[in-house]
Amino acid sequence: MSAAGLVFAASAVIALVGAVFAVSFKNIFHNILGFALAMLGVAGIFLSLGSDFLAIAFVIVYVGAVAIAMVYAVMLSYPLDLPQKRRSGAKILGAAAVAAAGAAAVWAVLRSMPWRAADFPSKVSAAATGVRFLGDYVLVFELISVLLVVAMMGSVMVARRVRVGEHA
Amino acid sequence: MSGPVFAAVLAQAAPLAAAAVILVGLRARPRVAAGVAILSLTVALAATLYLVVRVAMPATTILAQARWLPVFGGPGLAFGVLLDPLSTVMALVVAAITLAVMVYSTGYMAGDPGYGRYYGFLAFFGWAMLGLVLASTLLQTLVSWELVGLASFLLIGFWFDRAAPAAAARKAFLMTRAGDVGFLFGVLILLHTLGAASIPDVIAAAGPLGALGARTTTLVAVLLLMGVIGKSAQGPLLTWLPDAMEGPTPVSALLHSATMVAAGVYLVARLHGFFEAAPVVMRWLLWISVGTALAAATMAMVAQDIKRVLAYSTISQLGYMLMALAAGSVGAGFFHLVTHAGFKALLFMTAGIFIHHAHSNDMREIARHRPLGQRAGVIGLLCGGLALAGVIPFSGYFSKEAVLAALGEGFAGSAPAAIGLAYVGAGLTAYYTFRMIFLTLGTAGTPDAGAAAPAAAPHAAGLTAGERAMAGVVLVLSALTLLLGYLGGWLGIRLAPDAPAHGAFAFGTGALVALALVAAGIALAWLEFGRRGAPGIGFAERVPALKSFFGENWYLDRLYNATIVRAATALSRAARWHDHTILDGASDGVANGTVGGGRLLARLQAGYVQMYVAVAVTLVVALAAWLLRAGGTP
Amino acid sequence: MIGLPALLAVASALFGIGLYGLLQRRSLVAMLIALELMVAAVSILVVALTTWTGRGAVAGQVIVLILAGVAAAESAIALSMFVAIHRASSTIDVETLSELKG
Repeated sequence: MSAAGLVFAASAVIALVGAVFAVSFKNIFHNILGFALAMLGVAGIFLSLGSDFLAIAFVIVYVGAVAIAMVYAVMLSYPLDLPQKRRSGAKILGAAAVAAAGAAAVWAVLRSMPWRAADFPSKVSAAATGVRFLGDYVLVFELISVLLVVAMMGSVMVARRVRVGEHA
Repeated sequence: MSGPVFAAVLAQAAPLAAAAVILVGLRARPRVAAGVAILSLTVALAATLYLVVRVAMPATTILAQARWLPVFGGPGLAFGVLLDPLSTVMALVVAAITLAVMVYSTGYMAGDPGYGRYYGFLAFFGWAMLGLVLASTLLQTLVSWELVGLASFLLIGFWFDRAAPAAAARKAFLMTRAGDVGFLFGVLILLHTLGAASIPDVIAAAGPLGALGARTTTLVAVLLLMGVIGKSAQGPLLTWLPDAMEGPTPVSALLHSATMVAAGVYLVARLHGFFEAAPVVMRWLLWISVGTALAAATMAMVAQDIKRVLAYSTISQLGYMLMALAAGSVGAGFFHLVTHAGFKALLFMTAGIFIHHAHSNDMREIARHRPLGQRAGVIGLLCGGLALAGVIPFSGYFSKEAVLAALGEGFAGSAPAAIGLAYVGAGLTAYYTFRMIFLTLGTAGTPDAGAAAPAAAPHAAGLTAGERAMAGVVLVLSALTLLLGYLGGWLGIRLAPDAPAHGAFAFGTGALVALALVAAGIALAWLEFGRRGAPGIGFAERVPALKSFFGENWYLDRLYNATIVRAATALSRAARWHDHTILDGASDGVANGTVGGGRLLARLQAGYVQMYVAVAVTLVVALAAWLLRAGGTP
Repeated sequence: MIGLPALLAVASALFGIGLYGLLQRRSLVAMLIALELMVAAVSILVVALTTWTGRGAVAGQVIVLILAGVAAAESAIALSMFVAIHRASSTIDVETLSELKG
């Protein structure tokens, strides 16, 4: 087993374990931590594939930003004082069934496609990515910037408290 | 339009206009309604008198027709008037009796809340009956026939808020309808084979030599006879007429003695040539009418209600008329129809005077209310009764002798038993008639009937206008019973020019036998009911089995109840079950199913996001599975 | 050496876990977490397929970058909406918030 293979195996395990944590625990904070762990695992997978830039980007964006934002949101909305409702067994079973079917379908479809896989993955460098990003895909780059600004403004507008006399 | 045709149309139009005006606008003004109706019938009477003078006296025939709906250049339907001595004399009888009844009703129905509606219906009946009499095609006759049936229904059930009249009206309508089914089919066959033929053409086409052929003629004759049996209450369909007495007495006088029930007789007379071409049917008619005449006479012998006695008597006399027609003599049959119209209407109106006074139909009850004080009533009762019994010189004697003579000529060799039974029936007629007279007048002496005479005089002096109208009509008709008898020869010549003419007194031994039987009947009635201290129970009433048998229409109603009524009720119950359970159940089921299905489907749209996602994923998985199975993507 | 099938399997498993969480969790935030897991699984798929088949490897990187950016923006807005919802209804329980249920 090569280094890449080892990294991949470890990262896959971390990702899946983290994902399971993310959807199982009752305490939402534990879920967020599991989420962060899963994203670290995903970053490791990217590393094993040779996409180092993506790995770093994922860590920064997800673990560094999204997870923190989630913590903020939870603090602002968590019904700490209300009693927890019981989990419905039927719902768990149904969700598990549908999820299993969904995963199986995805995997089956992917397996049925005649990918002509090479012997090893092609290497992609960050430089090449950057050149393409700001070259051929510069419109997309600009648009995503605009999107992020709009999202920032939008989330502020949606979440702010309306003062008396001011309309939303 | 020539004079007679115009008069014929006017005779029908006047009552129709009156009926329309009254029923639409004048119900709230009863006196005006009565005036309009009486005026219209006076116009009709004048028109029919003119017709008799212009058409019947010179014995001519006029046929005037118009075409209707000549579709696609085809023959279309014809309608018009057929004027000859038969139709014009009948029209005169109808108009006269209708007018008499209308005048009489101003007294009898005074104070009734439906007074205006009553006159509207009477005028409607007048139009329908005149239309039936003057019709030129059988289709017209059929239409008027049904309209007359409708008028009868409306008038029998005039007091519709009571159960008995409503039930009687329904019964009358349904039973005549049963016969009318045959009539309808007969007319349809004739329409199909002969098209828009007028009545004379139909008669000419009858028989083995005519366009119809022997078998079709017999078939149509049988079918038409069904209608006659229903309308004239003969044979198995006689039970509606006694029940029809629930209607007002003037209605009984007009419809159910003189005119409507005589429509069947009139039809046979009108189509006499046709029926003669089917001798088998005439045989049947003979036996049916003889049987009915005798049976109805037995029923009249035990009845307690004066109107029921008269109803049975009507059935019986209709049988005599049909007997004469079956024997081949239109003259005798029609003559009896005319005289019967006169004296039976008279008897009913007389009965109405007594009923009005005693507030009861029961003869014994009437006897308790000093009937002898009603002078017009007594005169009417005696004149009408003597005519009915067939005592010389009253009109009934002449017409009945004509009937019996015709029977003798027609069936002397072939059906002597029928002739014998007819004579027996004549004797019974006299018996029950005088039973009625004696019981009503209370001649046998009941405790209250011997009240002081002085009370009668001041009562007579205080007659109201209505009572005077009633009495006046009765007296006029009583006089007629003495005069109509001499009409026989005149009618005979015009109705059957080929038949041997009878003088008024030239009837031979048959007449003497009949008179003897009549005398015997009267004597028996006097013995049992008339003389002072009589037991008041007839020979038939002494035998309980006979009394109930005769009294309950020879158990015909019981038979019908057990069979037809039960079957029809069971069928309608089944239909109602089907309607409630299956049809309503189906539509309710559809509705409930839709609502239930909707509720089920509504669960899919619960606003529950996770459900949406689950459904979407499931569908995509299914799609993927299907695509993979089918071979995946290229 | 890792092979493409292993990558596809891991991605599918991650996708399934995320889907389970999306369908089963009650809290809106928990659903969002699961949703992000699904997006991450898709990202893995894109990168794996583009690098292993050698076609459009750079484009695959760009796609994943864009995807990450959009996912981040979306989660920001979603979280602010959750705060507003909580302010309005005092709950972020998805079963309580299904107003259409008749």
